[in-house]
Amino acid sequence: MHYISTNNFFRLLDALKFNYKVYIPVKKGEQRFYKKYTGPQDDIVIGEVRAFEPLKAFFAQAREVVAENFSDDIPHADDKPFAIVGVKACDLKGFKVQDHVFKDHDYKDPFYLKNREQNLIISTDCTSVIDTCFCLALGIKPYPQEDFDINLSEVKGGFVVEEGSEKGKGLVKKYSSLFQEAANVIINKRKAQRARIVEKVEENIKENKVPREDLYKGIIEKNYEADIWPEEAKECVECGACNAICPTCHCFLLYDQKDRKKMERLRIWDSCMLKSFARVAGGANPRPKLWMRLRNRFEKKFDFFPKVADVYACTGCGRCVSACPAKIDIRKVLTRLVENA
Amino acid sequence: MRKDKNPYRPIKTEVLEVIKETPSIRTLKLKPEEPIAFKTGQFIELTIPGVGEAPFTPSSRPSVIDEMEVTVMKVGKVTEEIHRLKKGDIVGLRGPFGNGYPLDEFKGKEILVVGGGCGFAPLRSLMYSFFAMAGDFKKLFFRGGCKNPSEFLYKKEIEEWTARDDLNVRLTVDTGDGTWNRNVGLVTTILDNVDMDYKDGIGIVCGPPIMMKFATKKLLDMGFKEKNLYLSMEKNMSCGIGKCGHCRIGIYYACKDGPVFQYSKIKDFPEIWE
Repeated sequence: MHYISTNNFFRLLDALKFNYKVYIPVKKGEQRFYKKYTGPQDDIVIGEVRAFEPLKAFFAQAREVVAENFSDDIPHADDKPFAIVGVKACDLKGFKVQDHVFKDHDYKDPFYLKNREQNLIISTDCTSVIDTCFCLALGIKPYPQEDFDINLSEVKGGFVVEEGSEKGKGLVKKYSSLFQEAANVIINKRKAQRARIVEKVEENIKENKVPREDLYKGIIEKNYEADIWPEEAKECVECGACNAICPTCHCFLLYDQKDRKKMERLRIWDSCMLKSFARVAGGANPRPKLWMRLRNRFEKKFDFFPKVADVYACTGCGRCVSACPAKIDIRKVLTRLVENA
Repeated sequence: MRKDKNPYRPIKTEVLEVIKETPSIRTLKLKPEEPIAFKTGQFIELTIPGVGEAPFTPSSRPSVIDEMEVTVMKVGKVTEEIHRLKKGDIVGLRGPFGNGYPLDEFKGKEILVVGGGCGFAPLRSLMYSFFAMAGDFKKLFFRGGCKNPSEFLYKKEIEEWTARDDLNVRLTVDTGDGTWNRNVGLVTTILDNVDMDYKDGIGIVCGPPIMMKFATKKLLDMGFKEKNLYLSMEKNMSCGIGKCGHCRIGIYYACKDGPVFQYSKIKDFPEIWE
């Protein structure tokens, strides 16, 4: 394991800027947002907790051109890849779902594939916990264990650095003068810090009575006709924030620019909470009621994905809990589903 | 659909001819810049530049790959634009997608094809395939229904089918008029007394959801096995490659695992007829 001082780490980022669009979380109020890295500045937060935006935004962007003028070329294929700094373990778990959809299963999506191959992920341990965190309920530790290139664990004056891929190893090798061997005392500090955060998340889960994933089997089938759905959907305003903010939600809309002279197709994040989502031409709709669409959202996460990809499509990041204007709380819905199953 | 290409790009395509089938249905004869080979029952996405795209199952012979026909009923935004198309216009084609009918599994069997309304479109392509495989089936039946005689698709062709020795045809309309001298009633009323072995026979159903629901129920009552019923499911297929999420049926996506499903595979999922 290696160590890098904070100063050297920023030197590393400065060097990465040549080959990558480097994005790093900065703090605004109580939230953390990804911002393009231009140089060291005071509001950068590498540790703490997950950013406001889900990691998927760097792999299948919210709105991107996917076809132009009937050409077989892949638009924006030569764009510089992203280097994303400060990615948390909950977001990395999103890859289990996104990879299944876009990379590992049937057709490979050339846009996602390129980003997955070329983007650089510099993840970090969580160094704090917010009320909505419940990753451990989904079996995810609050520190990255896989799917990163290098991982940083914040310690005084710098970071413990762990390599997670060949790309990560190459990076450390290329900039070896910036790194040094991590002393045992520092590695032990990392261990203690990780244990402290695990404990805090456990407290969170206990306090909010969040059921653990080993209790999720069959909760959708058994509750398919339950009143839970209409009751929970009562205040929903159909904004789709829960979908946009979710690291595992992958659905999109193909949208053609309204210009008859040229053909330009965009891929835009879509929301299964919207009434038109499954509607077919002529108006037939398998899910005309809002509560059916809420049920569908949970079905996809806790029934479909475990069946097709052996993974619950929830990372315990808690983003949907904070994003929902109707205060629909996935932790509470899971509790009700488990209790009623 | 090649897997190493941009899956969202339509192939530039010229409209060769527009055939007015009924007041609400037209068939487009299309010529894509690159030939598109499809299996009968697979679907394509038809792009109207500046408007969008919508899924259709070709109604033409799969053996013809440099041209393709799609039959389109006017029901929404994209199909309204499609009805405005004329000879020489440029559109786009993407696909083919999905599984198509497993023709080899039908060999040596007795087959009953049940169609309703615009469901005749994919079934015409299927019938062409069956005709091309002449002798491979024990018996072949076609039962078709429509709202009224003026909405009857492919009238001339189906008239020719009735004259064939290798095919038994019966047709019906929900509401008749002076020109109609055949059965009047829902398609389920012409499913009785088909001279075939239901227990081992293949049933193929394609039409509007409500028709599919009742025709399927009827065929099951007659003794068809669930695994021998093949349904062509209409869902909101968009990307065609199982990624955009719109056409989910239980653990499947209609666009890649369908659109043709054995009834046994989907019967336990809710919402299949909606």
